[in-house]
Amino acid sequence: MENLVSIFLDSVFVGNILLAYFLGMCSFLAISRKMETAIGLGLAVTFVLSITTPLNWLVYHYLLAPGALAWAGFPGIDLSFLKFIIFIAVIAAIVQALEMVIDRYLPPLYMALGVFLPLIAVNCAILGASLFMVERNYNFIESVVYGASSGFGWMLAIITMAGIRKKLRYADVPKGLENFGISMIITGLMAMAFMLFSGITL
Amino acid sequence: MRSLKDFFESHREHFSEGGRFEKLHPFFDAVETLFFIPGIVTKTEPHVRDSLDLKRFMSLVIVALIPPLFFGIYNTGYQSNLASGLPVTFMAVSLKGLRIVLPIIIVSYAVGLAWETLFASIRKHSISEGFLVTGLLFPLTLPPTIPLWQVALGISFGVIFGKEIFGGTGRNFLNPALTGRAFLFFSYPMKMSGDAVWTVVSGVNNQAVDTFSGATPLVVSAVQGSADVIESLLVNAGFTLPKLFYGLYPGSIGGTSALMCLLGALLLIFTGIASYRIIFGGILGVLFAAFPGYIIGLIYGGSSIPMFALNPFYHLVMGGSAFGITYMATDPVSGPGMNISRWIYGFFIGALTVMIRIFNPAFPEGIMLAILFMNLFSPLLDHFAIQFRLKKRVPNV
Repeated sequence: MENLVSIFLDSVFVGNILLAYFLGMCSFLAISRKMETAIGLGLAVTFVLSITTPLNWLVYHYLLAPGALAWAGFPGIDLSFLKFIIFIAVIAAIVQALEMVIDRYLPPLYMALGVFLPLIAVNCAILGASLFMVERNYNFIESVVYGASSGFGWMLAIITMAGIRKKLRYADVPKGLENFGISMIITGLMAMAFMLFSGITL
Repeated sequence: MRSLKDFFESHREHFSEGGRFEKLHPFFDAVETLFFIPGIVTKTEPHVRDSLDLKRFMSLVIVALIPPLFFGIYNTGYQSNLASGLPVTFMAVSLKGLRIVLPIIIVSYAVGLAWETLFASIRKHSISEGFLVTGLLFPLTLPPTIPLWQVALGISFGVIFGKEIFGGTGRNFLNPALTGRAFLFFSYPMKMSGDAVWTVVSGVNNQAVDTFSGATPLVVSAVQGSADVIESLLVNAGFTLPKLFYGLYPGSIGGTSALMCLLGALLLIFTGIASYRIIFGGILGVLFAAFPGYIIGLIYGGSSIPMFALNPFYHLVMGGSAFGITYMATDPVSGPGMNISRWIYGFFIGALTVMIRIFNPAFPEGIMLAILFMNLFSPLLDHFAIQFRLKKRVPNV
């Protein structure tokens, strides 16, 4: 239990997947203009992450890892070189399903997210979480917690960003820095403030 | 007064349109409005009538900063002379303090004002008095041994990336002085933390003392030891509660004395400049976060983290927490605007400061990053506070 709490705190604050590893920047910068869409995308990413990370754990540990196919009678086979492509396939399938659900039940959110909803499939944060999960040798329960809390950390970052950009609506930014330039600087300053937690060992 | 007015009138033409120094108009404007109320009258609505304009607002913050500034100068000189074995009479100590602190403040003002003027001239906005506050707050948070070029670097980062690229005062989202300090803290940790940076040691008869370990109370209480002895450890090192309250101990230039910050806080609250909600929220946060550990320490005795069991009031008076909560957290630009979010914002600043002191071995002090961290969330707190208000409103009445 203590272990799970520490994974949660670690992936939300200390090793925030966006502000410490800089994964998932593209949709973070593009969708953070409005609070509603930021919350929507944050929820979508959290949802996808909390499904795909455990799912990829199952796929990895029962199909891909060295010796994982022992249950089928092939203990000597190592398919882990396939993990990138298989993980992406799993993620893409889940995102497709999610897209259909949102389109059917939440059309305004669907319109607002636009092209970025299918692009969750190639959001680096999602693949990154699956790969970190393998690298850090999490077990199944840990991978569930890790996926959900990484998503929550990502959501926290994007809605904070949306709040700041709302506040900066009246800012007078130099011409060359408008939009993406200033967003990158804000992200950097945010990462600096998030270093509050760096160094905490849980 | 008349001659001063004539002086401004006779030089106005050079700075107005078509004049020789047209580009430097913001500078002229800033100096003139320091003495006189500007003659500009708004022609269209809305007409806001208030004697408290930005200039008076910021000047009051400067006045409130005088106690920590003077005490900081005295304390810096006192610690320096004490460590170097020089006499600690009032005059000697004050002069020594001035010699250490004044160059830091001058560099901070000069470099910051240069950037400010540059941006104001090119981007055609006026120079704001907010800078006078930033340029004084920043040196007060630094250790006295800081090299002057780092002061220049830090204030440059703070003014440019903390404020000016967003369009100047009132448009930034982080406290500029703390942005500069955090930048220095992560870039030159050797000069910004540790034991040796808090006291300037000058040589007696040109024999420089190499190192002087003037441990701050935060460092003393972070050492590993059993928890029930932490207070006696502090007292043995000379840090009793009253001494920490008065502030005569090594630390950052202006941040050591809780008493002086209290004076400043009273003035700021009385004049309505600082939000008392943020200040009280911060104090509550510190006490609330430190209290459980104290109780557990009292009942069960030892813990592996000594600071965990420290009396909550120590957390209030030692390190920079009093200074930060009084002057930095109450920054009206980077703080939230709704009353309820001010309480939450202050509370989390206090609580996070204590949490970082206890749980984060990387940083002995947490107030700087706690304030920056909550600066990020203040627009969000405001957003949800407004949403909450809108939900509660009865429709169509």
